Amino acid sequence: MRKKLILAVFTTGALAGGLFATKAFAQTDVELTPEQEIKLVQEYNRLLAEGVNPGEVWYEVGKEAIKKYKLDKCDLGLGPGNFKGAAAKLPRYFPDAGKVMDLETRVGWCLQQHGGMKPEEVQKFVKQCWGKTGNCLSEYDGIIMYLTMESNGQKISVDLKDPRVKKMYEIGKAAFNMKLGPWDFNCVTCHAGKQEVRIRATRLWSVDRGEAGQAVHYFPKYLVRWGLPMSMHYRYAECIRQMRWPEFIPHSDLGVALSTYLYAEANGTEIKAPGIGR
Amino acid sequence: MKKTTLLIGLSTLFFVYAEAQQKKAQPKKEGTPKQEDTLQVIKSGLSSDPAFVWKTNQDEAQAICSKYRSREEMPGKDLQKVIQLSQADVKYPQYGLYWGDWKEGKKVVESPRGGRFAGYGFSDNPMDKGGNCYACHLIEKGVPGGTMGPNLYQYGKRWGVTKENMNTPEGMEKLRAVYNIVYNSWSAFPCSSMPRFGYHGGLSPNDVANIVAFLLHPESPVNK
Ligand code: HEC
Ligand code: HEC
Repeated sequence: MRKKLILAVFTTGALAGGLFATKAFAQTDVELTPEQEIKLVQEYNRLLAEGVNPGEVWYEVGKEAIKKYKLDKCDLGLGPGNFKGAAAKLPRYFPDAGKVMDLETRVGWCLQQHGGMKPEEVQKFVKQCWGKTGNCLSEYDGIIMYLTMESNGQKISVDLKDPRVKKMYEIGKAAFNMKLGPWDFNCVTCHAGKQEVRIRATRLWSVDRGEAGQAVHYFPKYLVRWGLPMSMHYRYAECIRQMRWPEFIPHSDLGVALSTYLYAEANGTEIKAPGIGR
Repeated sequence: MKKTTLLIGLSTLFFVYAEAQQKKAQPKKEGTPKQEDTLQVIKSGLSSDPAFVWKTNQDEAQAICSKYRSREEMPGKDLQKVIQLSQADVKYPQYGLYWGDWKEGKKVVESPRGGRFAGYGFSDNPMDKGGNCYACHLIEKGVPGGTMGPNLYQYGKRWGVTKENMNTPEGMEKLRAVYNIVYNSWSAFPCSSMPRFGYHGGLSPNDVANIVAFLLHPESPVNK
């Protein structure tokens, strides 16, 4: 089963992500030739029309990886190994760690507690496929995909009545507003305002139009362009790179604060992973 | 000339609007964390590589802008302060303002590169330089662009720049007004989404002069 699925990734990968995994493309992520752009759109439309989401393959990868790294002992808030619906209630406060954590940060913690990894190893594990296009199969992406998909159909419900969660929410909200760096960007630059705006051809989502739910509910999101799923912390890293800030550190409190703000704003939206995008 | 007066009028308008807003005391929102605490969390979540850590030193104008979600929310004294700081910052080319080379300007306008560094690939080269103007603006006819900023097609025509008036005091005044916007957008539009390109040194005064020529020059494709 697993072998077959992985084979499927690599075939789709060759078609989709692999399509652009040329050296020239690997160096940049924005400048596609018009022909590449057309191929990309065609491939994306084909996948949509056929209802195929290659991202689902990572579910199986994650299932195996959870055994391998003993994450069945990991407690996402509903008890060790109780994953059904757990992701929908994150971020939350974890007494054992003494911190508010979102899904990815919690998985990083569990990889240290149960998987025997050191913090540096976790960072490497997380970023294994970052900046890559084409056939890159990351167990971390699999784990996040599996754990999120176990909450598919559940409504996001971040508990803002918990003052520790509320505090993280407020920090996240303020961080969203913080203008910083040599291009004077904050998240608000691109993701706020009543009026719909585009940068180049991409339509941007806005918290002020109540679209936080739409933005987060389908993460990890499979990107046809890269042939791999993008987790939320990878999304933060990419937006922060475009903002010209220094590189984002996954599982940091900054990530947790942003997640707490965004997922709480998304309360009530059903989780539906994986999403798919160009 | 109209546009120049309009612009000057605009800044005055801010001041008047400012006065009115000042009276509306900003209610301190419940539970809002201190700015320093939020900055601390942000810094702890970004690489501390000494080559890049300077990027997280927030300046006074950024600190003011970070307190509000939009310009409409800003009280007058803060609007004034940001305009003041930004106007004071504008620097001109070494030998004074001049009509730059629009062909060079076009290149910088089109390039999306510059300043994006990450250890995991997708990095710009250190020498890359661009304004990525198309991300936010429509500029040349038929070239796709973003809609975050206003459409700049025929921008020079709209300012009334012609071959005849380019080098007159009137033409030079127009050149200066647009130079100021591109060098430091906050001098005209406090806390705008548009980066302060010249202020941060991402673009040099000569780059800005070339870009402005691209926008205003009667021979530039922007005005065809
Ligand atoms: C310079 C513009 C810009 C800034 C600033 C920016 N983003 Fe983004 N963001 C984008 C673009 C472009 C996308 C991709 C949209 C797409 O693929 O549909 C995106 C996508 C996202 C998504 C996923 C939406 C989706 O439907 O796939 C999230 C979540 C997000 N950004 C959060 C943030 C956060 C948090 C910040 C601040 C730390 C931020 N962004 C800053 C441009 C920006
Ligand atoms: C991240 C978005 C963004 C980028 C990048 C950007 N701009 Fe802008 N620009 C704006 C916005 C938004 C405005 C409107 C000002 C406001 O109200 O804040 C603007 C306004 C302007 C204006 C004034 C227009 C008028 O009404 O007279 C000029 C000229 C301009 N931009 C040129 C440029 C050039 C040249 C570049 C590239 C070097 C550039 N912009 C890059 C967002 C951007």
